Amino acid sequence: MTQSADRLENPAKFSLASLGASHYVLATLSLICFLLLWQTISMNVPPIILPGPVKVAAAFVELTASGELIRATLQTIWPFTIGLVIAFVFGTALGLMLGIFRPAARILDPYIFVFWSIPNIAWLPLFIAWFGVGQLTLIVFVFVSAFFPQLLTVESGAKEADSFLVEVARSLGGTKREILHVVVLPAALPYIFAGLRIAVGRALVGIIVGQLLIVATGIGYMFQFYGETLSLAKYFAPLIVIAALAVLLNRAVNWAEHALIPWKQRAFV
Amino acid sequence: MRELEFVNVRKTYRSPTGQDLLALADFSLRVDGGRFVSVVGPSGCGKTTLLRMAGGLIPSDGGEVRLDGGLLTAPSAKMSMVFQGIGLMPWKTVEGNVGLGVQLQAHRRKLTAAEAQLVHDTLAMVGLTGFERYYPHQLSGGMQQRVGLARALVRQPEILLMDEPFGALDAQTRAVLQDELLNIWNRVKSTVLFITHDLDEAIYLSDLVVIMGRRPGRIKQVLDVKLPRPRYSYDARAEPEFAQLRSIAWRSIKEEL
Repeated sequence: MTQSADRLENPAKFSLASLGASHYVLATLSLICFLLLWQTISMNVPPIILPGPVKVAAAFVELTASGELIRATLQTIWPFTIGLVIAFVFGTALGLMLGIFRPAARILDPYIFVFWSIPNIAWLPLFIAWFGVGQLTLIVFVFVSAFFPQLLTVESGAKEADSFLVEVARSLGGTKREILHVVVLPAALPYIFAGLRIAVGRALVGIIVGQLLIVATGIGYMFQFYGETLSLAKYFAPLIVIAALAVLLNRAVNWAEHALIPWKQRAFV
Repeated sequence: MRELEFVNVRKTYRSPTGQDLLALADFSLRVDGGRFVSVVGPSGCGKTTLLRMAGGLIPSDGGEVRLDGGLLTAPSAKMSMVFQGIGLMPWKTVEGNVGLGVQLQAHRRKLTAAEAQLVHDTLAMVGLTGFERYYPHQLSGGMQQRVGLARALVRQPEILLMDEPFGALDAQTRAVLQDELLNIWNRVKSTVLFITHDLDEAIYLSDLVVIMGRRPGRIKQVLDVKLPRPRYSYDARAEPEFAQLRSIAWRSIKEEL
């Protein structure tokens, strides 16, 4: 049979190899410019206001060598990971459940909305009263920060499964269970990642705020300590760690999404 | 048998303003086994409602839809539908989408070896060999509809229900797919109920062209198309009979616009 009239779009990725190389060159150049600008400004203001990149680098090395930075990072990563993972698992599960069983959503949605609308920070004194000043409170706080965005994003994704695709599956003889498996769950998968991306950000805020305000450990405490003592060069070290962590996590989520959602067309950046 | 019959079918929709909209009123039509029947009519005349009812997707408010004499109330394994919107699962490959036609019929997750072979053969029939691992977004509209057709054919349906399947395609692709549909139909010999708003398409493909009047949908005229088959073997559209039927149909439809 002929395919002459049919046009096949090239499935190969756009070749950005050459463009990609110049992209890295640009990124490096912009970083150098940024550091130069930073250095110039810092040399023209008192060091107490803004330490230059050289001083910051020296402080970073010093804090790393003493083990303080690494210890603080580990103290931050553990409760962060535990809280985030639990939030991801339960947020995703409950989100799917509510998205699929509409009556359950009708009953629970108002409560979820109210809990979600309350600024996280308002929970903190309550959590301290309930769980004491310690790791448990920290984990609960990270959990609450990440749980609601995950839940709400997944729920809306599961609700928005294309009704036409559901009808198609029905016309092919699909049972409710099969339609769930064939249409609703795959359609919700991108939302699970969208939720995770938000949840990671919120969990990071949660852990820093939590460490700053309750347990006096980890990266959050370093901010407080070096901020209050006005040791600004050292203050920048945990800042770099958090920024690196955020970038790394975002990359990891993108990578997982790419691996698990091969059908999603994306721009290659 | 493979016979589809509408007996005094009625369908009402509730409009957003709360009024009842009569889409079909006492609609009766028999589609004999093995025939290719097209339904044409102005938009909003209830053509798609008719097909969705035949597919068991929506209930009628009165009258009966019968499949081989039995009452039809739910999607039947004897039938397959092809939609204008195609409705391929974006997360499944071409192979996976076609396999779904069998999976959801047999209620099994995995295909048997025989079924996998059937998927393979059906893809060959619609000219998609070599594209098994592609995702829908990597295909042109015409190729996507070939997948939609394969998903319907893989079920080896006795009745094929087609809702403007080529409506969204460019004229050239549409002509190619019309010929291929006739070619395939020649081999599988299923009953076809075909909805379209394109008169030429209806006449070219069908044994019978049913012209519907404006809402509430009812049959206005039925045209017998006696042009010899296979019609792709000669220039059927250039025959005087084709032009004559077209002119009759057009005059009839024009009154309804």
